[in-house]
Amino acid sequence: MSGRNSLSSLAKPFDSRTEWVTFFLLAAFVIIFPILSQMGMISSFQVGVWGKYLCYAVLAMSLNILWGYTGLLCLGQCLFFALGGYAFGMYLMLMIGEDPVYKTALPDFMDFQGYKELPWHWKPFYNPFFAVFAVVAVPGVVAFIFGALAFRSRIKGVYFSILTQALTYAATLLFFRNEFTFGGNNGFTDFKFIFGADIREESTTLALFVASGILLLVVYWGLAWLLKTKFGKVQRAIRDSENRVRFSGYSSTHYKVFIFVLSAIIAGLAGALYVPQAGIINPEEMKPSKGLDIVVWVAVGGRGTKFGPVIGAILISLLKSWSTRAFPEYWLIILGLVFVFVVLFMPDGIVGLFEKAKAYLRARKGGESDSGSSNIPVEAK
Amino acid sequence: MAVLYRDTDLTLSAEGVSKSFDGFKAINDLNFYLGDGELRTVIGPNGAGKSTFMDLITGRTTPDVGSLTFHQPDGHDVDLCKLREYQINRLGIARKFQTPSVYTQHTVRDNILLSLNRDRGVLRALFYSETQQDRDEIDEVLEIIRLGDRRDELAGSLSHGQKQWLEIGMLLAQKPRVLLVDEPAAGMSDEETERTGELLLSLEGKHSVVVVEHDMEFVRQIARKVTVLHQGHVLKEGSFDEVAGDPTVKEVYLGRQKHTDAA
Amino acid sequence: MDQRLSKLSTRALLIQVILSTGESQTAAIDVIRERGEPIISEVVEAWRIGRISTLGEGEEVQVLIQVSEGQYEDLLTGSALTPSGEPKINRATRSLRKVLKRIVDLLDLKSPDMSKRIAAAEKLGLSQNEEYLPELRELVPKQSDKKVKAAFQEAVWISELKNGRIDEKISAVTSLGEVKSYPARDFIEALLKESREAKVERLDELEAVAEIALKKIDDHQKLVEVASTLVRGLSTGSVLLLVSYGLAITFGQMGVINMAHGEFIAIGGYTTYVVQNFFVGVFGVESAGFGWYFIAALPAAFVVSALCGAILEKGLIQFLYKRPLESLLATWGVSMVLQQVFRLWFGAANVAVASPEWLSGSYELAGISLSYNRISLIVFALIVVLVTWLLLAKTNWGLHVRATMQNRQMSSCLGVPSSRVNMLTFAFGSGLAGLAGAFLSQIGNVGPSMGQTYIVDSFMVVVVGGVGNLLGAALSSMGIGMLDQGLQPVLGPVMGKITVLFGIILFLQFKPGGLFAARSRSLDD
Repeated sequence: MSGRNSLSSLAKPFDSRTEWVTFFLLAAFVIIFPILSQMGMISSFQVGVWGKYLCYAVLAMSLNILWGYTGLLCLGQCLFFALGGYAFGMYLMLMIGEDPVYKTALPDFMDFQGYKELPWHWKPFYNPFFAVFAVVAVPGVVAFIFGALAFRSRIKGVYFSILTQALTYAATLLFFRNEFTFGGNNGFTDFKFIFGADIREESTTLALFVASGILLLVVYWGLAWLLKTKFGKVQRAIRDSENRVRFSGYSSTHYKVFIFVLSAIIAGLAGALYVPQAGIINPEEMKPSKGLDIVVWVAVGGRGTKFGPVIGAILISLLKSWSTRAFPEYWLIILGLVFVFVVLFMPDGIVGLFEKAKAYLRARKGGESDSGSSNIPVEAK
Repeated sequence: MAVLYRDTDLTLSAEGVSKSFDGFKAINDLNFYLGDGELRTVIGPNGAGKSTFMDLITGRTTPDVGSLTFHQPDGHDVDLCKLREYQINRLGIARKFQTPSVYTQHTVRDNILLSLNRDRGVLRALFYSETQQDRDEIDEVLEIIRLGDRRDELAGSLSHGQKQWLEIGMLLAQKPRVLLVDEPAAGMSDEETERTGELLLSLEGKHSVVVVEHDMEFVRQIARKVTVLHQGHVLKEGSFDEVAGDPTVKEVYLGRQKHTDAA
Repeated sequence: MDQRLSKLSTRALLIQVILSTGESQTAAIDVIRERGEPIISEVVEAWRIGRISTLGEGEEVQVLIQVSEGQYEDLLTGSALTPSGEPKINRATRSLRKVLKRIVDLLDLKSPDMSKRIAAAEKLGLSQNEEYLPELRELVPKQSDKKVKAAFQEAVWISELKNGRIDEKISAVTSLGEVKSYPARDFIEALLKESREAKVERLDELEAVAEIALKKIDDHQKLVEVASTLVRGLSTGSVLLLVSYGLAITFGQMGVINMAHGEFIAIGGYTTYVVQNFFVGVFGVESAGFGWYFIAALPAAFVVSALCGAILEKGLIQFLYKRPLESLLATWGVSMVLQQVFRLWFGAANVAVASPEWLSGSYELAGISLSYNRISLIVFALIVVLVTWLLLAKTNWGLHVRATMQNRQMSSCLGVPSSRVNMLTFAFGSGLAGLAGAFLSQIGNVGPSMGQTYIVDSFMVVVVGGVGNLLGAALSSMGIGMLDQGLQPVLGPVMGKITVLFGIILFLQFKPGGLFAARSRSLDD
């Protein structure tokens, strides 16, 4: 089997035909959508909206490797998303250039607050490479410090969830402060240029969509590979019986820190691509309720499945954008009820339901079930 | 660490160990020596401190006072109190839990694969590729625990007894010097129990084995030297018959055993 | 004094002041000086800004106050009136205005309202205006109330710091030190500086007493600060305790992560609001009955929240025992629904809940102001802890709860009606949240997102206290409350809170199980 060699499985990370088909459908979407837009069949606005959805999908995947595959329910994934977004937003703010009112190159909120000079930690962000580095490094370092502390002292399960929520709550309070130099509750907005291109140009929108799509595909591929390696097996073993892992000579702490940092970096990258498309980043993005939104996406799509988070993020976002227009008053009620329903009746989400239906049909046909192709863990209840 | 005086053939020694939880003395001035290749059975009534003792050796908890020393074949002594579970395990101390603890969402084969005695660091795991030797070792273990034909099934689908065997197989795959086996016969049929006993006996000499057990029939089958724990302290050590004939042991342990049997 | 004048009403006297001149005016002013009625300052102020007018001539003349454009009041009767002709604006002379201002300034010193008298004395004392000193001195022995007398005396001393002779100054400094007067602190320092510059006689003596006095004042002030931080910490801790105690039961004892806990708090808040409106409808806002609405709201909040809790347990939670993470997710969904329901029923804005008379106001104790709100909060938290403890320790239900929490399966095998016990326990925890909500309506806002404000804090309290340990929850609320209030003066409210949160995260590194970790021997805990 190909899965037994780590490097060869990098080229073939998917096990079944369904998985390959799913991947190519995703890839086709990422390619065809911009083409249709070029042909004028899809508005630039729609491209922008879907670009954001793709970022959400990546964000959901980053939570899924933590929660679905390692059993660590992080309620602060929005924090890493926002940190990546803020890091890139700093670059975008500096690219706005001189503003017409204050005649300074400072971000306008600094003008309001009476800054005369750019604070030292802002200066390197003139360099786009540094900004990209920070997008990776800031969420990564925060996750490393928090993860190392939490996992070292064996904080897990619900306690981990609650602590991550507290972390993102504390960070939100911090970012709401004006003197924290990140724009207080207004955050960053009114971006003008990205890598020299006008951010409002249609071609920029398209490029950002493609970038988001590529990020999605790379992450999707990479995570599928990761799951096939021995690392991925240890990861799932930690979810199922952490003590056995520890008593088999693995430092589960190291594994968990690694996976936590990786997940934070992915979330940060998604955030960095999201911000220029959304045109704004503010502390609202890291509020604890946002963290729970991501959990909803993953749960609805199917946690511990490769495609579940993608479908969950996109479906819920579509549902949201439709129902906030159709029933603005009832949207939260709809979402809440959907969520309760999913937890009670669809513990493996949409993908799980699909798999179950497939297994049922196969059983009716009298065929044997091939356990090797299924990537849906049957939860031990 | 310098090579100090050591008894010729000891693997593990616990001296003056005490541990209390919220004022309750689970282990009280315990002294315990395990020889190289020895098969030792530990018995004792509920709350005698058997599981806590295993927790101490494997690093789940640390003793309040006393020393726990692992004697390596090269003559170095290692203080177990300062190490974490995975480090102790890497020294060659493997543990089977009371309730079978296997990776239910992995195949039987992967359960063994993950237990192989290889470099278990994060990066090595990322870029790990199976070798022919790995496959041979896995097959060997699968044969010993007689789960070869179910290798590609999820471990969660095994029966309770089979899970117990799988866990023992996972221990064997680690090629440990010391096996700590907590109630291996729990939930097994008579036939399975007997085979488990044979398996444990066959390990004697190659590994040091400590078996904690309740089932006196089973103990009689595998017993070489028996240690009786009572209130966290060694009450009696000796052969099965010596121990079984001891009046104090009868009072604290066998007497109760009859009670529970009757119930 | 003119006997005839002193029989006149203040309004009539004022009219005489306005209309007459010379001796008859002075005589009227002298009488007014002795009266403490608010109308005096009203009229003087109106006169100053040109809103006093006269209408008619001779004996028929009327004095009017202009209330607003075109609206007049007859000064004599106080009744509104539409002038029959064009009123003529009357203005006071400058010297008269000065005399009147002095009267107004001293007016409150004679007010029948004690707190007004105290405030006026403080104000005049702090102004250190020489003019008022004789008046203040004269009034000190006339005060019968101890508190008022002390305030007047303090005002005299403070004034003497500037206006007294040197021996008076020295004795004033000493006395102010004795009474630990904080307001006098800056004046003593100013006096010291001034005296040094002017090289006054007996400077050494003054310096010596000033040093002692300042030290006394400072020591006392520190004590007051510590004590008020303590009180504020206790009351913040009580808030935390109230909001988290229900959670400590549902989460700690039952292992259910109820993310909708905050919404149960809000249910309590809204129930209080509804009860309040009911009382307004039945008794009216001004009635004595309205004051009692809060007493009725407490059990109502408990019952409504408990009922909602019971429904939630029956409908959802009971399927999720042993799946704590999933109970977290499902109850988050419930929380979203409830928040939106609040918005639909009560509007997106906060609703107004009035404090009953007997809960507002405060009590001063040795310089520490204790508001009734805070005191009742602390007392109430104590009652909640006691009652919960009694219920758990002394009742059959409590025994069942403790048994079920330790081993759900075992206790149900032993005949504990576990599904009933679970429902009651969850209802009880939710009811406590409702009670908390009722109380929070008195110190904070009641609104749809009210619960979200408290949910992170409540979880922190429970985790720090040690899950499953109610005593731990109580101690950790108080600890976190104290820490929060202790840090606030140094770091400001938000940074203080952030520091506390990070502090808690760090604390859990060293004590992952909280203050009182539950010891468990089962493997996968």
